[in-house]
Amino acid sequence: MEVIRDVFLFIFNNSNRILEYTVNHLSLVLTVLAFSLVLWISVGLIISKYDRFATSVIGLANILFVIPSISLFGLFVTIPQLGLGRKSAALALILYAMMPLVRNVYRGLKSVDKSVIDAGRGMGMSTTQILYQIQIPMAWPVVFAGIRVAVVMITGMATVATFIGERNIGRLIHHGITRGNAEMIIAGALVVSLIALFLDYLMGLLEKRVTSPGLRHSSENY
Amino acid sequence: MNFEFERFVIAMFDRAPPYILEHMQLVLIPLAIATAIAFPVGVLLTRARYRRYSGRVMGIFNTGQTIPPLAVIAVFFPFLGLGYRPAVIALTLYALLPIARNTLAGLAGVPLEVKDAARGMGMTEWQTFRQIEIPLSLPVVMSGIKTSAVLTAGTAALAALVGGKGMGAVIFAGINFFRMELILAGTIYIGLIALFLDRVLSFIEARMTPSYMK
Amino acid sequence: MIQLEQVKKIFPQTTVPAVDEITFSINKGNICVFVGPSGCGKTTILRMINRLVEPTSGNIYIDGENILHVNSDELRRRIGYVIQQVGLLPHRTIEQNVGLVPRLLKWPEARIKARVMELLEVVGLDPSETAWKYPYQLSGGQMQRVGVARALAADPPIMLMDEPFGAVDPIVRGRLQDEFLRLQQEVKKTICFVTHDINEALKMGDYIVVMNKGKLVQKGTPMELLSEPANDFVKDLIGDDRGVKLLDLTRAESLMMVPESYPVARDCPCFIDAIQPVKMALEVMMKNDSDVVGVRRGDKVIGTLSWTEIKKHIHRISGD
Repeated sequence: MEVIRDVFLFIFNNSNRILEYTVNHLSLVLTVLAFSLVLWISVGLIISKYDRFATSVIGLANILFVIPSISLFGLFVTIPQLGLGRKSAALALILYAMMPLVRNVYRGLKSVDKSVIDAGRGMGMSTTQILYQIQIPMAWPVVFAGIRVAVVMITGMATVATFIGERNIGRLIHHGITRGNAEMIIAGALVVSLIALFLDYLMGLLEKRVTSPGLRHSSENY
Repeated sequence: MNFEFERFVIAMFDRAPPYILEHMQLVLIPLAIATAIAFPVGVLLTRARYRRYSGRVMGIFNTGQTIPPLAVIAVFFPFLGLGYRPAVIALTLYALLPIARNTLAGLAGVPLEVKDAARGMGMTEWQTFRQIEIPLSLPVVMSGIKTSAVLTAGTAALAALVGGKGMGAVIFAGINFFRMELILAGTIYIGLIALFLDRVLSFIEARMTPSYMK
Repeated sequence: MIQLEQVKKIFPQTTVPAVDEITFSINKGNICVFVGPSGCGKTTILRMINRLVEPTSGNIYIDGENILHVNSDELRRRIGYVIQQVGLLPHRTIEQNVGLVPRLLKWPEARIKARVMELLEVVGLDPSETAWKYPYQLSGGQMQRVGVARALAADPPIMLMDEPFGAVDPIVRGRLQDEFLRLQQEVKKTICFVTHDINEALKMGDYIVVMNKGKLVQKGTPMELLSEPANDFVKDLIGDDRGVKLLDLTRAESLMMVPESYPVARDCPCFIDAIQPVKMALEVMMKNDSDVVGVRRGDKVIGTLSWTEIKKHIHRISGD
């Protein structure tokens, strides 16, 4: 119980700093998310049209995904054009987001029931109409599952960017470890988990809004 | 770019290799413990008696997964001190979800009519489980273990922060001294370890799969 | 009218034609059923008519116009298309599904709404109950009805139906067939209908085209097929109960005896209508434990049908 009290005291006494870190954390995550969505959804669309690139692109995404986050941050820092700070952090995080986004866009588009597409074609829908009116809306649940994985992952990995100079919630954990300060570590872990859960919750709300009720009953899309 | 080939060679063949075994341990021990926990949990949650809890348990696991790895590793450190133990516990927790999820999905994916037919021919529940459910769900279960192995191999790099050693020590040294060669060497070894574990697990899977299913 | 002229299809990476130089035509307002085992090319023919499959060679004309020279999307909007899996858009309501082609054709919204409501009624669904629902909320039979309504939406003169009632149980299938035949009496579409079920073919078809391995084996009316099967393949397809099946297509009046004295006929214990099938006569005879049944047209008794006559008829057509 004492620990919990100390954690809350810490948060209360350092609210300004925690707020600053939270804002930095969120701005990094949202910037990365915006770039990633535009970039990787386009890539997903392209590889589902040009299937022969799909295996290699998804393979590349998988390789990027298993590189430890700390390594990728570290490597980018040593590149002079990127250096310490946001550019390196953002670039690394965008690369990590590739796997869940590209894979799920591709999977989502490919998993659309063939008979529905056939019916659409048979009724005289053009290729573009089939893409926008059938494939994309039907792929939404799977795409959104990917977006939620990406958001949670980016939020978590952003903490590691503290080692390359980002001033975000990761800094609480980092400094907590070096100073052996338990409250600081736990406060950091708590806040960053709350941020992740909150963003995931927001995405869930958004998902409900854009997904047709007709698709909602099949919620098992991971 | 300050890459020097000579330093890279030294990093690859002198600095990093002593950490390989440590890193392997940091992956294998959590993976073994996580499998020992998550697989039975997955099995229980697909039994008729406990099926209704599966949504809630997976919900807890999913929420657990939203907590960043750095936070999980750090949180145990104040209570358990520096060293191996906090890292192993944190990595174990982190490896649970993919295994549990895939065990659940794999067992739930065994066609009902196959299980029905087995029961109909007089197989006991245990025989059905052992001879029908396990072999049919094996590929999905194993792919969960592989996912966990690969993720743990990467996440284990953070263990160095709490004195858990492993290849992370090399990478953090590289970050602290701006030595790209060290980071690169550490990363390459982690990649090789992940690849090696993936192959070993695939081999085990192939050995366990009955020949008629290959 | 639909005409196929030496139509041939060889799929890429295969050598055996899926459809081999088929020529025939379908008259306006008729139902033409393609029947045969799976892989016989019947679905491929159907899909060539709306150009979901492009023929390797040959020509297809609709009302004299070569469809290979028409924009394929526009062509398809003029042709109704119903498939076994139905293929309703799961993310759209029933109203939106039925209104799909009219929307592609940019009808005014009010006209679409009215048309959808009318059609749901026509296929036997309650519009106020169904229109706002999503496909997953419907039963298999209801989905098939929506599929038919969707194909009828823009009032296309031609309908292509690929096993449209194949995914429902036999009782619902029978009901859907009956309703569709009744509907066809009103709408008089030109229909190409694919099935592997010979009974469905005999029931639905004005004409039947029997296919095997991409080749046309026999074409004709159900009556012609039953009484003169072209070869053993058609005989096997129809089955051993050819005679009984024929009784289903033979009107009672065609086997009826006109007795010299009406009182005899009037004394029959049971009666059927002149246009009812002979099979029905058998049913009535069995129920009343009688060897003879009276045949009526309206209120007037016009003859008798006896067990002996029916037996003679079966022997005649079975050829033994």
